[in-house]
Amino acid sequence: MTLSCDPFDPMASHASGCTCGAHGPASRLEGEQRLGEIVRTAVLRAAFPQAAARRAVLKSVGAATIAAALEQFFPIGTATALAQEAPKAIEKPNLKIGFIPITCASPIIMAQPMGFYQKYGLNVEVIKTAGWAIVRDKSMNHEYDASHMLSPMPIAISLGLGSVQQDWQIPAIENINGQAIVLAMKHKDRRDPKSWKGMRFGSPFDFSMHNYLLRYYLAEAGIDPDTDVSIRVIPPPEMVANLRADNIDGFLGPDPVNQRAVFDGIGFIHILSRDIWDGHPCCSFSASKQFITENPNTFLALSRAIIDATGYANKAENRKEIADTIAPANYLNQPPIVVEQALTGTFADGLGNIIKQPQRAGFDPFPWESFGVWILTQMKRWGQIKGDVDYATVARSVLLATDARKQMEALGLAAPTSNTKSFVVMGKTFDPAKPEDYLASFPIRRS
Amino acid sequence: MGGFARSRWAAPFLSLALLVALLSCWQLAVRDTAPTTRMDPEYAALMGATATTGKSAIPTPVDVGRRLVAAISDPFYDKGPNDKGVGTQLAFSLARVLLGFGLAAIVAIPAGFLIGMSPLAGATLNPFIQVLKPVSPLAWMPLALYTIKDSSQSAIFVIFICSIWPMLVNTAFGVAGVRREWLNVACTLEVSPWRRAIFVILPAAAPTIFTGMRISVGIAWLVIVAAEMLVGGTGIGYFVWNQWNNLSLADILLGILLIGLVGMALDRLLGWAASAFTWRE
Amino acid sequence: MTHPYLSVEGIARRYGARAVFRNLWFGVERGEFVCLIGHSGCGKTTILNILAGLEAPDDGALVMDGHEISGPSLDRAVIFQSHALYPWLSALGNVAFALKSRHPRWSKAQIEARARQALDLVGLKDAAHQKPCELSGGMKQRVGIARALSLEPALLLMDEPFSALDALTRGTLQDEVGGLVGGGKQTAFMITHDVDEAILLADRILLMTNGPDAYLAEIVINTLPRPRDRANLHRQPGYYALRNHIVDFLVTRSRVLAGERPVHWTGRDVPEVIPAAPTKTLETLGT
Repeated sequence: MTLSCDPFDPMASHASGCTCGAHGPASRLEGEQRLGEIVRTAVLRAAFPQAAARRAVLKSVGAATIAAALEQFFPIGTATALAQEAPKAIEKPNLKIGFIPITCASPIIMAQPMGFYQKYGLNVEVIKTAGWAIVRDKSMNHEYDASHMLSPMPIAISLGLGSVQQDWQIPAIENINGQAIVLAMKHKDRRDPKSWKGMRFGSPFDFSMHNYLLRYYLAEAGIDPDTDVSIRVIPPPEMVANLRADNIDGFLGPDPVNQRAVFDGIGFIHILSRDIWDGHPCCSFSASKQFITENPNTFLALSRAIIDATGYANKAENRKEIADTIAPANYLNQPPIVVEQALTGTFADGLGNIIKQPQRAGFDPFPWESFGVWILTQMKRWGQIKGDVDYATVARSVLLATDARKQMEALGLAAPTSNTKSFVVMGKTFDPAKPEDYLASFPIRRS
Repeated sequence: MGGFARSRWAAPFLSLALLVALLSCWQLAVRDTAPTTRMDPEYAALMGATATTGKSAIPTPVDVGRRLVAAISDPFYDKGPNDKGVGTQLAFSLARVLLGFGLAAIVAIPAGFLIGMSPLAGATLNPFIQVLKPVSPLAWMPLALYTIKDSSQSAIFVIFICSIWPMLVNTAFGVAGVRREWLNVACTLEVSPWRRAIFVILPAAAPTIFTGMRISVGIAWLVIVAAEMLVGGTGIGYFVWNQWNNLSLADILLGILLIGLVGMALDRLLGWAASAFTWRE
Repeated sequence: MTHPYLSVEGIARRYGARAVFRNLWFGVERGEFVCLIGHSGCGKTTILNILAGLEAPDDGALVMDGHEISGPSLDRAVIFQSHALYPWLSALGNVAFALKSRHPRWSKAQIEARARQALDLVGLKDAAHQKPCELSGGMKQRVGIARALSLEPALLLMDEPFSALDALTRGTLQDEVGGLVGGGKQTAFMITHDVDEAILLADRILLMTNGPDAYLAEIVINTLPRPRDRANLHRQPGYYALRNHIVDFLVTRSRVLAGERPVHWTGRDVPEVIPAAPTKTLETLGT
């Protein structure tokens, strides 16, 4: 076995995601040289994800050729320079990050057992939390250094809605899609939303994409979510039990709760959230502005770790491995087959059908500012915000799109060139430059 | 028959017999009952036992027994911050209870003394006591989290504020109820107020104070489970909540059993301590 | 006139406008055993409480050995009607508690020795370590006696000490107390409603009328010789004269005389009577 740990050496063994130093004498590689190695490795891996294929190519064509070829597609030099900003001294290597045991938090959770945090010099304890309100409180108390949060939460906290005002930011989105509307088995013949008047629904939190998507879906069917149905806040772990006890008729919830309801024969999946809005954000990785400004190097390492993990999670071939890693009692505490169905997208729908939708859940870290604008319009639509709001400024100050781009590029992930985009929700286009018009276009709203 | 009924083995034997009877009823009641539809085997592989075989979601005593044996055989395992053995969890909970209960005792007993000795103090503080006494720990929790800003300290505060009342009220009652003639004796012996409080009033009120402490420790134990379910992290309450996530009822029942056993042990412990201070006339 | 050792000077007790008793004057000489006898409601217990310092009189004062006294004192030990022992202490512990109050600087060994002595005096040497719940009524009262006597008080106050006991035990204890306390060994003041007890133990017997507004009608001087033996006392000449006089008082005169004072009665000069010596005339009795 070679001692240099040269990633371009086909004879070296790079079995388990190490980027050097793990099994070679790292002291031999000095600062910048090492950095260059890392960057080149990242690029190489991005180009040839399969280790076997990588070795084969290296053997056949040779390291130099590959390096040159890659330079054409990816500015390794620039990337190295960027990566020079890599943390020199981490202010706070021991961190506590809170999470709720749902698959949205997969990157945050799996980063611990799979070594992503360690890779960037961090020692992170991921702590399971009982509910979103507790996550909010412990985060604002700074008992957690950073946290898994529903995407609207940092926006709400920064605006002082539902809590004391504190500046919070989203360096990365955790996941896109991955939710579903589940109904109790007794409603399997009542699937037209227009007939849902009088039903009771569960939602994880008032400031959640689940709440906004559910309301949007109901409103599109002509149901007023405040007067025609009741929506109750129920922590995700309790949703299945409440459905079983007939306290609610259905819910729009996160996985694995949706799949668990099917697994236990209590409910069926009516519609995936991806079919409401493909690419919608769900949960975010967030930190207080105070933490970010006081610990810039730590924060840099942390966001790298998270974005790296998110990128890994997005790949279809990794999903089963991730499901098995995060299913045990220490993390999600669910049967692995349930988590697998949620992550791989091959699942039972509760009505006797096996559905194959590999895009059921996605992990894309880029925090589009337009997500923030959309969330703000919905907050205003349902009366959570009263009065005027400067959409663009708030979105820009909370969602750190520019920073995310830098990190993604440094890690060799494709990052979008703009911070805003328009998208389509249930057939209706959203233009982030015209939020007020969008808001006014809805017949059912509170403001 | 009469002889047996009077023997000291009668009660334990009957308790055991009752237990066996209840467990048998439970086992019979919870056999497989739910109807199932025919399922494609590939589909069935993705579904759980309830949906495929109609197995009741409620566990049998045998299931719980199995979980109990598993939990006890390795009570102190540690698979990370969110998954530890029941022994460790119980230890966490007990530590919090002792701290909260201890603080409550330190405040309640002297305050109860004061209230018992002074009718004016009693009447002044009574409205506050009556209003605060019935408040549930689940209502105190958010307030505590908000002001104290530390979830562990908040849990201890909630235990404190809920378990203080029985001790306070009972101490006041015990102190106020000290026999007039014992106080007269102390009077005629020119006993100083300090000596009187420690050597006459305290021993006289001790049985009532201990009763208050037993009630309080029961409440403290109750509260810690609720608080931990809310706040999470470690403890037997968190264990139950974690199993609730997984809808693992056998483990929840196991948790309940352990909670009950420890609660009983705490009560016994205090009862034993109290017996050193009880007196008969 | 020399002042008595204990001088009760014009004390009164009222509840609102009504007086329980008023204008009460009497004295107790050193070494004397004085009994107060009367029906319930005449304020006997109140008078004892005032002497013990547990209550304060509404009028008047108490003077002992030339000093005015008020409030409780270790010099005035009390034997209560219902023993009033601390149930969490053993017999020894109860006596030791009193001794510790009296002699705070004594060592534990000294206190224990003196306590054992006191218990020995009342015949409870073997029961020293038993708790009150393990003792009979008579034994408990004996502990009470031991506790009071161990203080070597200037004045021993007794509040119907034997009335809670059965007749046989009562008799035995009366004899014992008589032996320990009577005949000049201890200044004592006792309240009772038992005539025979008063005759057995007292040197002077104070007769109270019925309440409310009770007053001291007569002071009877007990001339029966000491030592008095309960078995033979009733054979002494003058016994029945004494006894009849007191019984007459309790049955009839205490009621008849109640309320309004007789014409020649003054608080300070209560008539003294010596019924046991019929040869002596009752000079101060008015006609």
